[in-house]
Amino acid sequence: MRTVYRFAWRYKWPMLIAFLLMLIELSVELTQPLIIAKMIDDGILMNDVSTVYTWGLVLLGLAALAFLSGVTNSFFAAHAAQSFAFDVRKATFEKLQAFTLATFLTFPSSSLITRLTGDVNIVQQVLFMSLRIMFRAPLLVVGSLTMAFFVNVKLAALLLVSAPIIIVFVRYMVKRGGKLFGGVQKRLDRVNRTIEENLSATRLVKATGREAYETDRFEQTSGQLRDQTIRAMRTMELTMPVLLFIMNASIMAVLWFGAKDIAASRVQVGEVIAIVNYGMRMTGAFSMFSFLIVLFSRARASAERIEEVLIIDETERTATTNETMMQGDLAFCDVSFRYNEEAPLTLQHVNFAIGRGETLAIMGATGSGKSTLVQLLPRLFEPTSGTITIDGRPIDEWSLPSLRKQIGYVPQRSLLFSGTIAHNLRFGATDATDEELIEAAKIAQIHETILSFPDGYETIVGQKGVNLSGGQKQRLSIARALIRKPRLLILDDSTSALDVATEAKLLHALKPFEATTLLITQKIATAEKADAILLLDEGRVDGFGTSDELLQTSELYRRIVASQQQGGEMDE
Amino acid sequence: MNELKRSFGYERIVTKERLQQKKERPNKQRASNSKQTLLRIWHAIDEKRGALIAVLFLVLISSLLTLAGPFLLGRVIDEYIVPGTWDGLSTQLLLLIGIYAALSLSMYTQNVWMIDIAQQTIYKLRTDLFAHLQRLPIPFFDKKQHGELMSRLTNDIETISQTLNSSFIQVFSSVITLTGTVAVMLYLSPLLTVLTMTIIPMMFLAMRWITRRTSILFKEQQRTLGELNGFVQESISGQEMTKTYAQERRMIEQFDEKSAALQKTGYWALVYSGFIPKTMNFLNNFSFAIVAGVGGWLALSPASGVTVGVIVVFAEYARQFTRPLNDLANQFNTVLSALAGAERVFELMDEPQERDEGLVLPPNHIRGDVRFDRVTFSYGKETILNRVSFEARAGETHAFIGPTGAGKTTIMQLIAQFYDPIEGTIYFDEHRATDLSRRSIRDQLAFVLQDAFLFETTIRENIRYGRLDATDEEIVQAAKQANAHSFIERLPEGYDTVIAADGEQLAQGERQLLSIARAFVADPAILLLDEATSSIDTVTEMHIQEALLTLMKDRTSFVIAHRLNTIEQADVIHVLRDGVIVESGSPHDLLERRGMYYDMVQTSRSNSS
Repeated sequence: MRTVYRFAWRYKWPMLIAFLLMLIELSVELTQPLIIAKMIDDGILMNDVSTVYTWGLVLLGLAALAFLSGVTNSFFAAHAAQSFAFDVRKATFEKLQAFTLATFLTFPSSSLITRLTGDVNIVQQVLFMSLRIMFRAPLLVVGSLTMAFFVNVKLAALLLVSAPIIIVFVRYMVKRGGKLFGGVQKRLDRVNRTIEENLSATRLVKATGREAYETDRFEQTSGQLRDQTIRAMRTMELTMPVLLFIMNASIMAVLWFGAKDIAASRVQVGEVIAIVNYGMRMTGAFSMFSFLIVLFSRARASAERIEEVLIIDETERTATTNETMMQGDLAFCDVSFRYNEEAPLTLQHVNFAIGRGETLAIMGATGSGKSTLVQLLPRLFEPTSGTITIDGRPIDEWSLPSLRKQIGYVPQRSLLFSGTIAHNLRFGATDATDEELIEAAKIAQIHETILSFPDGYETIVGQKGVNLSGGQKQRLSIARALIRKPRLLILDDSTSALDVATEAKLLHALKPFEATTLLITQKIATAEKADAILLLDEGRVDGFGTSDELLQTSELYRRIVASQQQGGEMDE
Repeated sequence: MNELKRSFGYERIVTKERLQQKKERPNKQRASNSKQTLLRIWHAIDEKRGALIAVLFLVLISSLLTLAGPFLLGRVIDEYIVPGTWDGLSTQLLLLIGIYAALSLSMYTQNVWMIDIAQQTIYKLRTDLFAHLQRLPIPFFDKKQHGELMSRLTNDIETISQTLNSSFIQVFSSVITLTGTVAVMLYLSPLLTVLTMTIIPMMFLAMRWITRRTSILFKEQQRTLGELNGFVQESISGQEMTKTYAQERRMIEQFDEKSAALQKTGYWALVYSGFIPKTMNFLNNFSFAIVAGVGGWLALSPASGVTVGVIVVFAEYARQFTRPLNDLANQFNTVLSALAGAERVFELMDEPQERDEGLVLPPNHIRGDVRFDRVTFSYGKETILNRVSFEARAGETHAFIGPTGAGKTTIMQLIAQFYDPIEGTIYFDEHRATDLSRRSIRDQLAFVLQDAFLFETTIRENIRYGRLDATDEEIVQAAKQANAHSFIERLPEGYDTVIAADGEQLAQGERQLLSIARAFVADPAILLLDEATSSIDTVTEMHIQEALLTLMKDRTSFVIAHRLNTIEQADVIHVLRDGVIVESGSPHDLLERRGMYYDMVQTSRSNSS
């Protein structure tokens, strides 16, 4: 919990003042009985109306003071709690952004979402409650106990006898509750996951008529959440009855031994009654306690989940070199890669080199490692062995921002964020002018299409936006890469939904960029136009060279050519 | 120290205009809205009426026991301790212990039962909402952020859950205590009771002032939380983009913006809610001062019947009177926060479901004729399809070609009943699509989409998704037909390999093969292949070409593809441009006609040679 609550330290002053204000309220509350006694004893009993009014005014004055303190406390406590929550969210999100993709993928996305919203909310609640009421209960207990000791040490000690039991019990409950509520949050993750899966697969679920099946599946995950919640809360419900019973039993003990002592004239009747009274006040405080214990153990579970993210001490490695202009000479030297230690090698001893401004077509069967290979360039993953150099310098000696800034990467699945087209295109270049925007869109052969939309560049796309066809999305995401004026352009099969004519126009328009281009493609016609072709087969280089050379050397290449001979791509 | 100033520096959310706006809305409608939401929650709980009554009964018992404890204790002190009587003290103490044990037991039981009731209700609400979500039409999902919808099923339901767990018991026990106290107060002195009651209008005014603000804020809070959830979900699914474009800073800034909005509403919600107990406390003191002041004055005139003793006792009861009132006020506020969540839940619940009435075709009872009759369609302002007509006989293969955005995919989506035409009719056999149950149409078709979607489960189950009663052998058979068997076998766990959340371990093409295998398993009358092979390399494609031909045999197939050899196999080709079919006919006829298709084939040939 410490890592998370460390963030509250920044708000020590508001918290301290909130705490002091709470003390003022508490002391007013404690002096009230004294004033009331005065009103009755000196005023009403003495038939002295003016005393009644004087003390009545004092009472009102103090009440107003308590009210003011309470209201002011609200502002400080709310500020501390909400800012603390903001800081925790920020730190967690920043941490996520700093993760390497490999680490990132170890957390299911649904779980990250719960951590950033639900879990933060719970830790925030505890902080707020602490500033408002948490200290009240302990203070009431300690105060009552101290007073009891002043009255009679021996009898008061009886109230304390149960203290170790209570402490052990409460500690056990907090720990157990923490575990149980951790389980609750984990199951909430799964519920979240099922929902997310279904939202991404609505068409598939509908087309296959699996609505009822999915609802069954959801009933399972959500049933597990229900059962775990019931288990956790049931266990926690034990707290209050047990605490109440222990306290009430202690009071009985006070009465029993008190009666004995009275009989032996060792103690006054009034003393016994006073201690019983204090004991009953403590009981009242304890019922507040148990509420806090539930809250606290929930917070503990949530804090731990947030910490799981926060403690990962990993940021992407970046060299602290200056920004260097990339020329675009690229070489792979004996590069092998596997996703994790158990996985087989996805790439094995890959060697090749291309010069600046050249275009390399990468071909190969599905699963041969094409996408993996290009993902190594922006260092989304690090090679298991071997080196990749750009302009003769290993890529891990480039500063990461400088490296990525000069790479235009268009992934296979084009992802657009919710927002306008302009907003999406500017994703990689916030300061791009409207002219640059239009220029990139023109090269990507999408400008005309954009203009045909009713809202043009201001059309909303993404999850909240209009339906775009596959080819439109691809071209938008190419334009998004081009606007960065990259020195190294990576197109991961990102022209697959384009017709040959459009694709040819696009590739032709790229020429003046003079960027080194890696182009994953299935189409021989496209590959032939590249300066070189890299042919991958199960992670190994099967051939590297021009189309003519590969026709000579590679059996696989000849097979691919043959497979497309009958007609190849449709021009639309 | 700066933080001290910041504590008061939050921009106001509840402005005069907003309150005014709220006022202007017809009061009745507003009230009935919240009332209806409350009623609907109540209906959900009401299904557990038996258990609920049992809980209420236990609350009553524990309230009585709570009163009985101190009462008996007082008697023990008066009758045994003070006079120093020993006889029977132990019995009395045992009786007290018994009462306390019974109290603990009944509290535990009522709480545990209430948790069960609440969680069962929440479970039902959540699964009902999910089931409802499954029945919403595709157009609904087009403009919704996933994370925002997720928030309704989790965060919003969570606020209801929190309230159900505690509020019910607390409200009821407060009401019992309140009734008891008022009864005793009336008995002691009707006059002073009326005096104490003077704070009720003040309480009411204060509560109205506060809750008018909190109810706005709670809604705003759930909304901003939903937006944050939506942003987080999108940013996580686009993490690869963020990384490669080095846009982490920007993402963080956008996140902070959303997070700050939540902070701001959360702040004001806490501030205003925090006023409640403080105000109640103040009014409590105020009422005491009145009772003491006026009571003292009355006590001076013997005619009033108010004695000092009455004032002392009464003062104590007046204090007890405000405590349940305070609890009720707090609970009222909590209920408001639940309402804010519930309103968003029910808003979703009220979205009209996808039409599914109509004739239910028995399985395998459709021949597979599909006819479009002057179908026009638009997603919004733009017309995507304009009076499209064609007819596919059972068993034929129809290919659609044309530039991206011409409307090819839209035709597929209309066949799959994802959308309804704006004008015109689609026929399946001799039935209008609108006369048939949507589900029973979909039961007859299989769809291989551009983006292959896999669930986070084993490969076997992913293939089985096509037909749930498929045997393991049929699954392997389908995988073999789709040419997926060999790569599946190569995976460490074969068919039992669990697909990871983001499916990193499979290439896009491999995912596509699995979804083709899924179509094989489904064995449909109508087959929709939307770029099914576009991310598969041509050598592999050649291997499955034959399989695809087998799959398409005897089924009505609609194909969108780029490769000529796939298209040439079609019985009929439709050339689309800007939502209009410009040419239709067999590949042979179209070549002879020397129209657009002919041109395309020519460029394609010259390109590939």
